[in-house]
Amino acid sequence: MGRLLDVRDLFAGYGPIDVLRGISIHLDAGENIGLFGPNGHGKTTLLQTISGLVRPTSGTITFNGADITTAQPPKIVEAGLVQSPQGNTMFGEMRVQETLELAAFSRRARGKRNDNLRRVFGLFPRLQERGNQRSKTLSGGERQMLSIGAALMCEPGLLMMDEPTLGLSPRLKEELSEAIGKIASDGVPLIVVEQDIEFLLRAADRLYLIEHGEAVQEIDRANAPDHAEIMELYFGKAGA
Amino acid sequence: MTPTVKNVALPLICLALLLVVPAVVSDSYTRHLFIIAFIYAIIASNWNLSLGHCGVFNFGHLTFFGVGVYTAAIAAKTLGVSPWISILSGGVTAALAAFIIAAPVARLKGIYVVLVTFAFSQLAMQLVLSQSQITGGAEGMVRIPYLKLGDYSFIRDYKLGYYYAGLALLSVSTLFLIAVTRSPFGKSLTAVRDAEDYAASRGISVSRQRILVLILSAIFTGFAGGFYAIYLRVASPEVFGFGTLSLALSMVLIGGTGTTFGPIVAALALTFATESLAGIRGFEEARFIVIAVAMILVLRVAPGGVLGILDRLLPSARQ
Amino acid sequence: MTETLLATLVSGVVLGSLYALMASGLSVVWTTLGVFNFAHGALMMFGAYIAWTVSEAAGLGLPAGILAGTAGAAFAGVVIERLLVRPFYGNRNMLLVTVMTTLAAMIILEKGAQIIWGARLKQLPRLIDGEVSLLGVAISAHEAILLVLAPAVLIAIWRFTVLTNTGRSLRAVGQNQDSAALIGINVPVAFALAFGLSAALAGLTGALLGSIRFITPSMGAEPLVKAMIVVIFGGLGSLGATAGAAYIIGIIEALLILWLGLYWTPFVLFLLMIVVLVFRPNGIFGGRE
Repeated sequence: MGRLLDVRDLFAGYGPIDVLRGISIHLDAGENIGLFGPNGHGKTTLLQTISGLVRPTSGTITFNGADITTAQPPKIVEAGLVQSPQGNTMFGEMRVQETLELAAFSRRARGKRNDNLRRVFGLFPRLQERGNQRSKTLSGGERQMLSIGAALMCEPGLLMMDEPTLGLSPRLKEELSEAIGKIASDGVPLIVVEQDIEFLLRAADRLYLIEHGEAVQEIDRANAPDHAEIMELYFGKAGA
Repeated sequence: MTPTVKNVALPLICLALLLVVPAVVSDSYTRHLFIIAFIYAIIASNWNLSLGHCGVFNFGHLTFFGVGVYTAAIAAKTLGVSPWISILSGGVTAALAAFIIAAPVARLKGIYVVLVTFAFSQLAMQLVLSQSQITGGAEGMVRIPYLKLGDYSFIRDYKLGYYYAGLALLSVSTLFLIAVTRSPFGKSLTAVRDAEDYAASRGISVSRQRILVLILSAIFTGFAGGFYAIYLRVASPEVFGFGTLSLALSMVLIGGTGTTFGPIVAALALTFATESLAGIRGFEEARFIVIAVAMILVLRVAPGGVLGILDRLLPSARQ
Repeated sequence: MTETLLATLVSGVVLGSLYALMASGLSVVWTTLGVFNFAHGALMMFGAYIAWTVSEAAGLGLPAGILAGTAGAAFAGVVIERLLVRPFYGNRNMLLVTVMTTLAAMIILEKGAQIIWGARLKQLPRLIDGEVSLLGVAISAHEAILLVLAPAVLIAIWRFTVLTNTGRSLRAVGQNQDSAALIGINVPVAFALAFGLSAALAGLTGALLGSIRFITPSMGAEPLVKAMIVVIFGGLGSLGATAGAAYIIGIIEALLILWLGLYWTPFVLFLLMIVVLVFRPNGIFGGRE
């Protein structure tokens, strides 16, 4: 199996201070990975750097064998690497269906627009119900669905999700978790950032613990430590 | 350069040099350029008080100047008031105009401040144009009474009197600006500009501050307008136009927003630069393009103004 | 009396058409980039001169001139975006800095036009000679064309931003740049496109106005100021509100001229604008933020 995404010794940040300090992670074809760790330690910055929104100061990012370290976001989306951002309102004044249709903007996705729209509506029937509504009128959970739906419209070859269940009720969380499971079983590789480790252990084959801009620990689901140990690892380190 | 050298000694040396200029320069045209430069220096440095120190996007600063021009012109010519008093009355009406515009501006944000202040200058211009029986309309006013001091007339001395009057006005204006920016009020201005929310949480009233800063920036601008009208003996609606606005703006930018002396130095330099460019054939119009390009370059390369670059270069040269 | 009123109404709608074309260009750039383009009036003037050069100096006819004026202004708009606006994206003071750089662009265009084309007044011929009767009021056929063309162009632009992918991408970029980039929209290209489209509108207005008024280097200043009143009145946010406000301002202006005369009208308009801004900073039609 080939290596789909390879991030090596990445440094990046906003302004003079680096948030990422030499982080390395990778994803092999056929697996999903999860990222967890305390807030403000670089998880979101990592996703934004991979998708081209933040410029790395050094290190390399390779996707599908191609170097995309300094590529612009549209190029990266065209290559099939798509990010669904966190807590996103997308385009507040735009209608839901319009947003989804627009999201099939890249050449890669344009031809599959109608198929993908059906797929997104099948996954999130609520988006179809709200199709004519402006995005700013959606609830938190619906916004999250729209954000994931828009990413799916890009025909992703690898989908990165930033805290898809942040701030949602347990019921909604369950609903989204199911949808994410379906996306994965449809064969879209996933990188999921989450605080909820239970959730991650179900969705991902491997987890990275990210602290101070580095991947400090790698956990394999096959020989995963039990729940208490992970909690200790997480909070013990975070609290130190 | 130590702060004392930069803030005290250097300006005093410059002032001393300017004081002896008329002894060396006897032709009235060069002296005229200096006088115009002094007036622009007052406009630019006072504009910088609201734009640079307080961060108010005031694009109606030239209104204050225009109000000063027309107040002095009407007072001196139509009402027969002494030209000296007329100049001073220009500052009073300019401050009044600032008070009127400040009330709405204090409540607005961002681009809307630009639009309202700009609209206000257009409003003033339209008022001048529509009241032609008082203001002379588009033709403006001419033959405004000139300055006299006892028996001494200011128009037969190769502009010597006007030179020193202008320099005196600029000096007092500069002292006034230094006093304002050094005061606790001046320090709170910078605080608001850099962190509005923080300043508000510390109990600084942003609205009241903006109103006050606009009025303060109008006073000497109005005096300068009055002086301009009495000196040139004309008042024309051009003072409200895009041309004067952009020239003064370029002085603020090139000199460095947020500094006191930067715009003054830039005003002197730019007045002579544009004047000498005007002397080159084919450059009568192109000189404005040169200034516009310079303005853009400064914004791109040195947002702190040209003096800002020197500030950055000189300490490193010292080490 | 009714005749005078009708005539006023008609001339108000003609003015409104003009303002709608100008103001919608300002609005397109504002909603997409968050930049207030002070060079918009100068771009209009530039379009008028290009139209004159192609139509009169080169003798290629007015339709070719109008096309060239529109295209020339669009090109100038893209250049302004590239050189004077793009370097400042992400700057903390971007709004103020771009006000200054576009003001500089205005000076460069105006003085440049004076150097290239001289100070002598120029004028374009009319598209069609003759008069047309509208509600019993006779107006020139050229103005009638303006009357029809302005709404047609505005509706076309509106449909473009609602129905096409490219048009939708402009709206998306205006609302959320990062999200737009993450679905594969090229943000800098969208910015250049918005500026080009806006400048094309200005150029078209200039080419059409060049038959009604004289072409001078400073001809753009007054329409720019009027367009500012319109966008303030309508709010800067949406095309529909801007167009609606343009016609209302046109009619108000015509009525004011009838009642108060030419001198007082601009004064009252500015006063109205300031009052509107103080009480409704987002415009009469603009929603509250």
